[in-house]
Amino acid sequence: MISLIIDGKAVSVPKGATILDAAKGLGIHIPTLCWLQKVSPTGACRVCVVEVEGVARPMTACNTPVKEGIVVTTTNEKLEAIRKQVMELMLVNHPLDCPVCDAAGECDLQDSCVEFGVTKPEYQAALNRKPIRYDWPLLESDPNRCILCEKCVKVDHEIVRSDAIEVVARGEETIIDTHDGKTLNCDFCGNCVGACPVGALIDKPFKFRGRPWTYTVTRSTCGYCPVGCEIDYHTRDGRVDRVTASDDTYCNGNLCINGRYGFDYINSEKRLKQPLIEGKQSDWNQTISLISDRLKQIVATNGPDAVAGLTSPRLTNEEQFLFQKLFRTALGSSNIDSEARFGFAPALGILKKAVGMSGATNTMDRIEHAGAVLVIGSNLNAEATGYEYRVIKAATRNDAKLVLANVADVKLNKIAHGQLKYRPGSETLLANGIAKLVLAAGGEDSVAAAGINNFAQYKAALDQLSLAEVTEKTALSEATLRDAAVLLGGKKSVAVLCGSELLRSGTPGAVEALVNLALLVGAVGKEQGGFFPLHEKINIQGLLDMGVTPEFLPGGAPAPTKGRDLWQIIQGIEQGKVKALYLVGVDPLSSFPESGRIKKALEKLELLVVQDLFPTATTTLAHIVLPAASSAEKSGTFTTIDGRHQPVVKALNSPGDAREDGKILTELFNRITGSSETTDSAGLLAEIRSALPGYGGSSVPPKGPYSFSVTPAVEAPPASELTLLVGPILFHNGATSTWSVNNREVAPAPYVEIQSADAEKRGITDGGAIVLTSPAGTLTGRAKITNRLQPGLLFAPHHFPEFPVSGLLVGDAATVAVKVAKG
Amino acid sequence: MAQVVFSSWGRNVVDNRAGGEVKDAAFRLPVAFDGSRPLNAFMGWDGIILFDKEVDIPVMAAEYMTRVQTLYCCGKCTPGKKGTRVLMDALTGIIQGRGSERDLQVCEEMFRLLENCKCTLCQSSTVPIHDAITHFRGDFLAYINGTKKQPAELPYRFIDKYTAPCQDKCPSHIDIPAYIEAIKEYRFDHSLSTIRENMPLPSVCGRVCPHPCESACRRANVDEPISIMLLKRSASDHEWQRNHLPPMQPKPRKEKTIAVVGAGPAGLAGAYYLALEGYPVTIYEALPEGYGGGMIAVGIPAYRQPRDLLQRDIDIICAMGVKIVYNCRVGKDISLAQLKEKHHAVLLAPGAHRSKPMGVEGEDKGYKGFLTGGIDFLREAYLGIPTGMGKKVCVVGGGNTAIDCVRVALREGAEVSTLLYRRSRKEMPADIWEIDGADEEGVSFEFQVLPTKILVDENEQINGVQCVRMAMGEPDASGRRRPEPVPGSEFVVECDTVIPAIGQDPDLSFIPLESGIDITKWNTVVTKYLPLKDAAGKDLKDAMGNPLARTLVTDMEGVFASGDAEIGPLTVVACIGNAHRAANIIGRWLEEGKVYLTDDEIIEDILVYLGVYDKKEQVAWLDSAPREHQKEVHGSQRASYKNYNEVELGFTEEQAVREAERCLRCYRVAMAAV
Repeated sequence: MISLIIDGKAVSVPKGATILDAAKGLGIHIPTLCWLQKVSPTGACRVCVVEVEGVARPMTACNTPVKEGIVVTTTNEKLEAIRKQVMELMLVNHPLDCPVCDAAGECDLQDSCVEFGVTKPEYQAALNRKPIRYDWPLLESDPNRCILCEKCVKVDHEIVRSDAIEVVARGEETIIDTHDGKTLNCDFCGNCVGACPVGALIDKPFKFRGRPWTYTVTRSTCGYCPVGCEIDYHTRDGRVDRVTASDDTYCNGNLCINGRYGFDYINSEKRLKQPLIEGKQSDWNQTISLISDRLKQIVATNGPDAVAGLTSPRLTNEEQFLFQKLFRTALGSSNIDSEARFGFAPALGILKKAVGMSGATNTMDRIEHAGAVLVIGSNLNAEATGYEYRVIKAATRNDAKLVLANVADVKLNKIAHGQLKYRPGSETLLANGIAKLVLAAGGEDSVAAAGINNFAQYKAALDQLSLAEVTEKTALSEATLRDAAVLLGGKKSVAVLCGSELLRSGTPGAVEALVNLALLVGAVGKEQGGFFPLHEKINIQGLLDMGVTPEFLPGGAPAPTKGRDLWQIIQGIEQGKVKALYLVGVDPLSSFPESGRIKKALEKLELLVVQDLFPTATTTLAHIVLPAASSAEKSGTFTTIDGRHQPVVKALNSPGDAREDGKILTELFNRITGSSETTDSAGLLAEIRSALPGYGGSSVPPKGPYSFSVTPAVEAPPASELTLLVGPILFHNGATSTWSVNNREVAPAPYVEIQSADAEKRGITDGGAIVLTSPAGTLTGRAKITNRLQPGLLFAPHHFPEFPVSGLLVGDAATVAVKVAKG
Repeated sequence: MAQVVFSSWGRNVVDNRAGGEVKDAAFRLPVAFDGSRPLNAFMGWDGIILFDKEVDIPVMAAEYMTRVQTLYCCGKCTPGKKGTRVLMDALTGIIQGRGSERDLQVCEEMFRLLENCKCTLCQSSTVPIHDAITHFRGDFLAYINGTKKQPAELPYRFIDKYTAPCQDKCPSHIDIPAYIEAIKEYRFDHSLSTIRENMPLPSVCGRVCPHPCESACRRANVDEPISIMLLKRSASDHEWQRNHLPPMQPKPRKEKTIAVVGAGPAGLAGAYYLALEGYPVTIYEALPEGYGGGMIAVGIPAYRQPRDLLQRDIDIICAMGVKIVYNCRVGKDISLAQLKEKHHAVLLAPGAHRSKPMGVEGEDKGYKGFLTGGIDFLREAYLGIPTGMGKKVCVVGGGNTAIDCVRVALREGAEVSTLLYRRSRKEMPADIWEIDGADEEGVSFEFQVLPTKILVDENEQINGVQCVRMAMGEPDASGRRRPEPVPGSEFVVECDTVIPAIGQDPDLSFIPLESGIDITKWNTVVTKYLPLKDAAGKDLKDAMGNPLARTLVTDMEGVFASGDAEIGPLTVVACIGNAHRAANIIGRWLEEGKVYLTDDEIIEDILVYLGVYDKKEQVAWLDSAPREHQKEVHGSQRASYKNYNEVELGFTEEQAVREAERCLRCYRVAMAAV
């Protein structure tokens, strides 16, 4: 600790702390403009000048480390004069368009001028007006208002790594602009706008919408990805006009495009606003009665196995709980499931066996200080952007070694120390190959691993493994694999993150092999690092915790009678055994594999109820359609994959007659059972707590014992000539964001990415038609020629309802063998 | 002798404008900028020097501030960005007849406020303006009153230069503050791009550079210098550790081709910069493939410079379009005349690879165990050729090569490795960290000893070196004390191997007499230069005693020289700077048919002579961030048999950023009226 005196008060702070940090500890306010805690200090504005005894010039508090025994003065006449004059200089050529400036009322420059008594322009220079960038999507830049604090550039570079904007030119001409002067091409997270202290960078969707102080601000949790960022909805007149995030939240105010701009779907005119019976508008009372009667009748006639339901991971915990309660208690059926079936739920089962925990083994902030990070089978940028920010911080600011294993190049490639671009289908061999090399290197990893159950069998299996086979099937050199093993091995802590490309690889033993590797390198059970299985949507963990699965009750106890899982439900419908299906927030025709088969099945149903926000392909088949509420329109909780319970707080009312899912489910429950339960949240919470002891508490890393999974080697199916990978992209999340005009501005339409050589071979041109044929169907889309994939691999984003490419998939896997032709 | 009309340089005012007794002032500046055009005035961070009273100081001040603001001010702090603009507009307004006395007052306020700038550029730029307004106030008032009008045309031109003490001192003139600032901003890739603008071997000069820049670091005036060299390594390591491809793209291919003699630092650097311009370059290298790099490869052991990284730097240069013909010794496998025939220009960069003799009795007898020289020993060890070394090795010398020899001897299996040096430890020319490294590895030192005779047994196998102890003698006529033998102090150091490592000379035997290329008595190639003279009429020389501003062309048209063979044996960084200059000159010669230096190059050389760093400057700054230190491998395994693994491990990136934060960014602008 270093002791110093600030304004006569003694304080001790850790080595490396700045004078500003020390003053904060004492509650002494040193004014700042360019300082932003979450990025490196800039020292641009110079208003934080302080005097240090014995130093003949003022020092800036924000970037001057403390020194033992120094005596600091934070305010006196001289310092006040400097601050005032600096502000006066800042106003030279600053436009006085405050009346129409979006930042007015929340502008640090305005506030500082008032603070320092800067009331008139003192200095002049020849007027110099720079062009405003109206041409950027979603963001607008007015360099004339810029005070060159560089917060935007630092957020862009140090947190997001978009590297889209820079400080360019010299002298008074210096501005923040795109690095190439062209239009903005970045992640469109808007975190630079969030950091801008003035009106230089503004959100276009919010421009001229209203004065900031006229809005009701509600802090809630973003309803998109599993990061679960705390966000502030700014609402007025029944609309969300913008979303912001505060730096003092768990996610440091760092959102992605979906969090910041994806709110727009809430305001969409296309929302479902009325219950519909056979396509005709109805009222709630009549509709609920009808559903209740039909369900009761079907159960009475065919038994509880004849009803089934699926929910979306976007529902709150409370709603998930009510959904399973409706099925289990009111209808007596465990035929409930969700998209977790495709990969996430089975992966948690494997994890549970190996480490005794289902879910990430640590909170996501523990990635930041891991010694090494392995991101495998995930375009983290698209799947869980907030996780990507943590990985970026670990690898660029905290010296973690980053190994990236993906089938295609992604944003993280540029900062990774190891890039393993493996062949799809070789995941198991890849994980085992690295493990073999880690083990061969010896050292602490192998000593610690020897204490894990089944080590001998695991080691024996790895000993058997032929590296030649690994290099052949993965298409990676032994040197590349060895480098990766060196980067991951022997570290104090390791974080392993995997996403849908791995969890839904369809490769036998892939998840087991990865969990084994994670155990081997010591990713589990330490204060830092951890194992993080990811899924694109927010409440996948809560969905499973609450028992929306045929095999487990809320809290994880086995269901007395196991119900049908998703595929068994489809089969049941096909066989005529399942007659009623209740879908909440699920559009299988646009987002599930084998959509052609599913469509045929759904057409056979006696009762199809769809509860959703928007009309979908599935609602057109539904007998009854129920208009539901978005996550901004209800209260409850989400549980993130890493076990954080995030409050969802109602920020506005639903449009028309749309209702919160919880209310609908409770009403239906009451009608069916004749009870009169309320949607009172305290009562519900008590009920959930009784089912899930410890619910809402913080999770701790599992302490073991751990076990290596030893599964017999299963030959992977031979690789096909062309493989289609279906997955998320950054600019959307699920299908919800496709209803947001903002997101559509940067990602307007679906496409199929194809490697340039593969396209050339088939005469497919960029933007031209491309016909994909899989065993599940045929679809024509627009080709986008790229070099980020690998020969033989195609990629299509799964978000767009108008292009239901997921329907080409077969079974759980996110990849499928396809035939490709020019359209 | 040119008379100084006025000077405030160094805060020391000499004013001869009023007439009367002329006060003298001497500056390390040439009287004529390029040997012919008179230097009329000079303005910069330390004041104004006026040689010609006709120079209009308000005009010069306005121009100086305009250049600072529009060309160099980074805009990254409020006082700098806005303050220099206010100053520029005020001064320009005055000379354009729009000014008032209030403008002068605003200038005064700005001088005080700009003390709070983030770095030194804008702040130091107020110094000459302040001096101008103070000492030439009448001239400003004449413009304000309208008694003077802005001249339509000036009889002199302004030539400016943006520099920094470290950048000035670096023989390659790397933009050091810029590359450090990029690291501070976590932009290691930008940092490396800046480095490469003047340094094509960043992995090398991030490791083994003697970093003269650090001896001119203003941070040393606060506490300790910035670890400039290691930050260069951090930028370079960042690229290969992340498997990034270098971003450079050469310009479209040109017709005229260039031959380079030698793939050492100078040859590689010259080739790199010519290739970037689009010229096809062929390097002729005597050693076999895999051993490019010249003295870096054969003279610097792998534990200091890992070979894969040297090779990576060479591969990158080749990827720019440079072809290296290995196993081709010019003068033997191909003649200079043939090169001249085949190519449009030739750059001679053969280096200095011939060991100097020791002058000890017995050294010319061909005794077993007497090796020809340190550099030969290092080369053979590296090439894997038997060196003839035994188990008890004596190395004679005090430079880095001598240290490399004792450390390599250990790695080649020597049981005892001893260094004999005639002066004391602190007088050794070797870098102190290299001496410490040898110490840690168990080298034994005999300081202040002079070998006098090589001792052998009956088989003419060396079994010892007879030495005499040295002590400082009485001061001679010039006042210097020289080491002198202490009578009766003779003793014998037992050994079976003696390696003289007292220096190298270029081997210029490949240059035939009939080429007309002149060679100095130190065995370096003579090149042409600008006749820069000081006020006393003395030729201006650089630190090596060579003419200050050289065009690097030899007496033979189209043949240029560079590196150790031109400068005299020096450092990698000096060779690279020199070769970069040569590449620029060759490019101009090929395009324009003229050999000349640009104004920018001349002022660069003039500033080197003037000196930008002032060791005595009081730098006000809080010394609260000590210099960072890299991790090193320690322990007995470090110098074990055949262990050439790197000893120094560089900074972590977090450390590098912290170290970069210490930089004071001491940019400054000089401007000459010529």
